[in-house]
Amino acid sequence: MTNHWIDIKNADVILIMGSNAAEHHPISFKWVLKAKDAGATVIHIDPKFSRTSARSDMHVPLRSGTDIPLLGGMVRYILEKEKFNREYVAEYTNASFIVGEGYDFKNGLFSGFDPSAKKYDQKKWVFTVDENGVPKRDKTLNHPRCVFQLMKKHYQRYTPKKVSAVTGVSGENLLKVYEIYAATGAPGKAGTMMYALGWTQHTVGVQNIRLGAIVQLLLGNMGVAGGGINALRGEPNVQGSTDHCILWNTLPGYLPLPTSDQTTLEKYLRANTPQTHDPKSVNWWSNKPKYVVSLLKGWMGEAATSENGFGYGWLPKADPGVDYSVIFLLDRMYKGQIKGGFILGHNPAQSMPNSNKVRKALDKLDWLAVAEIHNSETTDFWRRPGVDPKKIQTEVFLLPSCQRGEKDGSITNSGRWLMWHAKGIEPMGRSRSMGSMVVDIFKRVRALYAKESGAFPDPILKMVWPEVYDADGVAKRINGAYTRDMTVKGKQYKKGEQVESFLFLRDDGSTSSLNWLYAGSYGSAGNLARRRDLAQTSMQARIGLFPNFSWAWPVNRRILYNRASVDPNGKPFNAAKPVIAWENDKWVGDVPDGPAPPMASPRGKYPFIMQMQGMGQLYGPGRVDGPFPEHYEPAETPVRSHPFSAQLSNPCMKGAQSDMDVLAKPGDPRFPFVLTTYGVAEQWCGGVDTRNTALLLETEPQLYVEMSPELARLRGIGNGEPVVVESARGRVEAIAMVTVRLTPFTVLGKTVHLVGMPFCFGWTTPGAGDATNRLSASVCDPNVSIPEYKACLVDVRKAQKVTELHV
Amino acid sequence: MDISRRGFIKITGAGAACLGLSELGLDLGPARAVAAELKIEGAKEVVSICHFCSCGCNIIMSVKDGRMVAAEGDPDFPVSEGALCAKGAAFRSMHYNEHRLQKPLYRAPGSDRWEEKEWDFVLDRIARRIKDTRDRDFIVQNGKGEQVNRVESIFELGASQLDNEECALTHQMVTGLGIVHMDHQARV
Amino acid sequence: MAKALFIDTSRCIACRGCQTACKEWHGLPAVPTRQRGTHQNPPDLNPFNYKLVRFTEAKTAGKVEWLFFPDQCHHCLEPSCKGTAESFAPEAIVVDKKTGAVVYTEKTANLTAAQCKEIQQSCPYDIPRRNDKTGILTKCDMCIDRIRADLAPICVKTCGTGAMNFGERDAMLAMAHHRLGAVKVSHPKAQLVDPEDVRVIYLVTNPEPALKKQGKQAVESYSRRELLGGLVSPFRRMAG
Repeated sequence: MTNHWIDIKNADVILIMGSNAAEHHPISFKWVLKAKDAGATVIHIDPKFSRTSARSDMHVPLRSGTDIPLLGGMVRYILEKEKFNREYVAEYTNASFIVGEGYDFKNGLFSGFDPSAKKYDQKKWVFTVDENGVPKRDKTLNHPRCVFQLMKKHYQRYTPKKVSAVTGVSGENLLKVYEIYAATGAPGKAGTMMYALGWTQHTVGVQNIRLGAIVQLLLGNMGVAGGGINALRGEPNVQGSTDHCILWNTLPGYLPLPTSDQTTLEKYLRANTPQTHDPKSVNWWSNKPKYVVSLLKGWMGEAATSENGFGYGWLPKADPGVDYSVIFLLDRMYKGQIKGGFILGHNPAQSMPNSNKVRKALDKLDWLAVAEIHNSETTDFWRRPGVDPKKIQTEVFLLPSCQRGEKDGSITNSGRWLMWHAKGIEPMGRSRSMGSMVVDIFKRVRALYAKESGAFPDPILKMVWPEVYDADGVAKRINGAYTRDMTVKGKQYKKGEQVESFLFLRDDGSTSSLNWLYAGSYGSAGNLARRRDLAQTSMQARIGLFPNFSWAWPVNRRILYNRASVDPNGKPFNAAKPVIAWENDKWVGDVPDGPAPPMASPRGKYPFIMQMQGMGQLYGPGRVDGPFPEHYEPAETPVRSHPFSAQLSNPCMKGAQSDMDVLAKPGDPRFPFVLTTYGVAEQWCGGVDTRNTALLLETEPQLYVEMSPELARLRGIGNGEPVVVESARGRVEAIAMVTVRLTPFTVLGKTVHLVGMPFCFGWTTPGAGDATNRLSASVCDPNVSIPEYKACLVDVRKAQKVTELHV
Repeated sequence: MDISRRGFIKITGAGAACLGLSELGLDLGPARAVAAELKIEGAKEVVSICHFCSCGCNIIMSVKDGRMVAAEGDPDFPVSEGALCAKGAAFRSMHYNEHRLQKPLYRAPGSDRWEEKEWDFVLDRIARRIKDTRDRDFIVQNGKGEQVNRVESIFELGASQLDNEECALTHQMVTGLGIVHMDHQARV
Repeated sequence: MAKALFIDTSRCIACRGCQTACKEWHGLPAVPTRQRGTHQNPPDLNPFNYKLVRFTEAKTAGKVEWLFFPDQCHHCLEPSCKGTAESFAPEAIVVDKKTGAVVYTEKTANLTAAQCKEIQQSCPYDIPRRNDKTGILTKCDMCIDRIRADLAPICVKTCGTGAMNFGERDAMLAMAHHRLGAVKVSHPKAQLVDPEDVRVIYLVTNPEPALKKQGKQAVESYSRRELLGGLVSPFRRMAG
C-alpha cells in the first residue's frame, strides 16, 4: 500500500477493484464503512457480487480479464471531460515529457516488437533529452509528442461502446463509475483504489496496476490522504517476505540480483545505479551502492573487504533473460532438472497453477525438506490419491513448525508497519520455529564444508551466521550497524553501534545492513517495531497517522509520495486533511519524502523520489510489454477477437511449455465458460492452516463452484448438487452454489457465463474436495511472472459419481 | 511488553468476576462456575499477531500456567481496535489443534508411510543431501565463461508465513549456497 | 437499567468473526458440516452454536441484495422461555439482575425433551436448542462472565465494523434509533426488531417476505406480536 489501512477513512470515493476486501481483509471494512459514514461513495467492480458488494454503494459486474478496457475508458473520460488535476499532472508526472520518434503504436503492438523472441526493443520508447540528458518537456501539454498527447491518442480508442462490449458492463454503469470516480480529480477530493490479486493475477497483471496508478496520477490522488494505490497484500507477512526478497531476481531491499555479465561489483553498480543530471530530481536509487555494500558487509562480515569487492564475487549470478521464478522452477522440476530443495510454509501442490503437473514434478525430486505446521498436499504428495508410493523415489523430510504465538519476531503488514510479536507459549511438541531450522541446517552444511571442503566453499564458510536463532539479534542485523569506529558529521560512532537510518549507510564497508529499507527500525532507541504509543499531533490525528505505533518503512513514513500531497509551494491540496505542510521553513505532519524544501523553491525537489526523473510515470518505458497499458484477452478467452486491435493476447506473455501445459483455443466450444478463482473469508490461501482448524472448517467445509441460475438451468444443475468442472488441464469435483450473485455477461453480443471457485480445499482434508488449481494454467505476466489464476476456460456439468467429496 | 489497554479489561476485583448469588438470588450450582468465572483473570497477556491477511491484527494471548487460555483482538492496535474476523478469532484453536505436526517425520524413498525421527537425524541428513547435490551440480562458469557460482538443481520455495528475521536468514543461506531457484507466495 | 446489544445488520460483512469468537470463548466444539449451496454453516443454531450468521439473497428488478443476520438470543425483557420453564423446573432459566441477561442453568437438564420443545416453541425467535446427550438446554448467555467483569460480550468485542454494539440499554436504544434514521435514507424499509421488548435490538434493512433465496430462505416481518400471535418463527425458515 502507498497509504495504510486507517487512511482509507479519508477517501471521498473508494474504488474496490480486483479485490474482495470485506472477505479477504475484513478489518479494512472498518475504515471503508467509516469513510462511508462520512459521506464517501464505495464502488465495487468485480465479476461476482460478494460480501464486499453487499456493503458497497454499487456493484459493477465485470468479465474477468477486462480491467484495462474499463480503466482505459476512464482515462478517456477524464481527459475528454478535463477532470484531471492540471497542476499536478503538469508538475508531478511525466505528462509533459517529449517522447522520441521511435515510439509508435499500431495494430495492438508498440514499436520495436520482435515476434520470434516475443520481446520489445524498449530503447524505441525513450524520451527526447536535452544536452544534459534531461528529458525535454512541454508543460502546456500541447506538444504532439508529449506523453499527455500520446496518452490521449492511445485511450481515445477506448470508447464507451467498445468498453461495454468487451467488459460486459452496461453503458449506464460505466458512465456512473466514471462520473463518480473522476470527481476526485478536484483539488481537495481524494479517491483510493483498493486492489488485490484480482488485478495482479492476469497475463496483463502489471499493466492493470499501472493503469490504476495512471488514473490516480491524473486525478492527483497519489500522495494524498485517502488516496494512493493500495495493494491489499495477502499472506501474513507477504509484505515483509517481499521486502526481504524471497524472490529469485532481487537481493533484500529490492536490489537486483547480479547477472553473469556483471562480473565485478563496479560493473554491477554501474549497470544498476540510475543517474540524472536534473538537479531537482532526488533520484533515490543513486544511493544503491551504499545499500549493496552494506548488505554484503552484513552477509560476509570481516571477509567482505574493499579489495575483494566486499565479497561480490561470491554471489550467485543469473544468466540474463532466464526466468527462475516459481512457474519455471516447477517446469524444470517436472523435466527432471531439479533434484532437491526446501519448501518452507508453502503448499505449491495446492496453490500453484496446473497442480496436476506440480504434483508430478515433485515425484521427480531426489529429496525434499518441507517445514510445515500440518500435513499438506505438498508434504504428502507421494501418497496422494491415484499414485503408488512405491514408484516415488523422493526422500522426504517433514519438519514440524511452531505457530506464531510460540515464537518472537516481526511481520510487516500491508501498510508497511513493522510490528513485533512476542512468544506467549512454548512450541507444541517438538515443533520449532522455521528460523531455528534454517540456522541449524546451514550450520550443519557449514560444518560439512569445513570438514570435507567441496564445491566453491567460500560463500558458505565466510558468511556471518548465528549459533542459535535469535529473532532480536537478527532484527538488529537487519537494521545494521557500524563495522568500525566512525565519525560522521562530527558525531562519533563505535564499532557495533546500530545505524540510525539508511541515511547513514555507506559504500566503503564501514556499515552493514541486511536490508536498507528497514534501517532505522532498530537504532539507538531500540526496537521500534515494539512501539505501542498512540500519541499523535492534532494534524496527524486528523488523518489517523499514528506515527508512534510500531514503525513503518521507509524511515517511519506512513504515506508514500507525500510530497505530491502539496502544491509546488508546499501548501496541501486538501487543507482539511493535510499529510505534510511546509510551515516556518520546515515540514510538519508525516515524515516527508526527503527533507528538501517545496519544489518551487530553488533547492526544491520533485515529489516522486524513487523515479530517476522524479515524476509519476504516466508513460512507463520500463515495462517489457509497453509504455501504456493496452487490452489483451486472457491466455484462455471465450472470444476470438476484440475491438481494440487484432492482437488477441499479450504478445509478450510467458508460460511453461510441456506436454501438460495445454491451453484451450480462443472461444473453444469444449470449454465455453470462464472460471475465476479466489479465496473465501473463513479459509486461507491453500487452506492447510484453516482446514485443520475445526471451527473454520465448520463454516466453510467443502469445495463449491458459484454459478448463475441461468447457467444452472442451461446445464440442469440444482443448488447444492455435486458437479464436475473441467478445463484443458484437469477435472475437479465441487458442490454447485447456484446464486443470483453471479450474472451472465453479454460480451460482443454473445452470452458469456462465468463461474467462480475457491482454491483452498485439498485432499488431505478428507471429503472436502481437491485442488481447484488443477484447472488453472501456467501462463503469466511478462514483467513479474505472476500466473493468470483469475481467468481460464472450463466446462461444468452434473456429476454422475463423486470421489473427492463427501456428499 | 508494556500494554496500555484502552477500555479493555477493567476488572475491579475478583468478586466482580463472579456471578453474585445474592444478586441473582438463586443457586446455580456447579454450572455457575463455568458461567461466572472469568477465565482470563490473572492471566499473563502477551501480544501476538494474526497469521493471516496482511491487516496484521494484533492479538492478546491470555496465558496461564504456560497455556493460552484465550486470545482476542488487541484494542490498542489502531487498525483493528480490538476486532478480528473469523480466522483471527480462531487464533487459539489454531495453536491447539490435533492435526499439528509435533515430531520430525521422515519418508524413505518408495515408502508408503512416515517414520518419526529425531531432529538430529533429519537435519544431518538434509545437510548431507544439500552438500552432495551442490557439490555434484555446482556451476562455476556458464557457457560464455563468465563466473556464475550457482546451483540450479536445488530450489527454495517460501514463505510469506515466515517472520522478517526468518526471511532475512533464509535469503542469506540461499545466497551462500548459490541457489537461484528461489521464490515464495508473493503471487498467490 | 441493565445491558443491551444493538446489532446493526446494515454494517455486517458476515466475516463470521462473532460466530467463531463465540465458539472459542465458550469452548464449543466444531460440528461436522456440508456445503449445501450456501455459505450459511452450520445450517442452523444447535447446542454448539449459540450464534449463527444467516445469509439470505435475492435479485429484485435486476438488483442483488445479500442480507446478513447474526442470529442469537434476543434476551427478552420478559422471556417467554423462562415463563414456560418455570412450571417445569424452577431456576432452570434465570435472569441476571445486574445485567438483565437471560441465562440457562444446569437445571435445564431436569427438563424432559418434550418440555424443552415446548420452551423452544414458546420462544418467538426460535433460539433454544437442547443438547440431547446431556439434556441441557442451550443458547447465548450474553457472555455473562465477561459482562459482569465489565467486558463486552466476545461477539461485540470481535466485530470490526460496528455491527455489534453493547452498553446500557438506553444508550443502545438511542444508538438504534439514530442509526435507523441514517439507514432509512438508503433503505426506506429498514426497521428495528421489537426494540421495546428485548435486550438484543436488531436493525434490519429489508424485512420483506419477498426476499427469498431460491424460494427456500425467507425473511418475513419481524413483528414479535404477530409471531406471538401464532405465526411460525421466520428464522426457522431461513435455514435452507
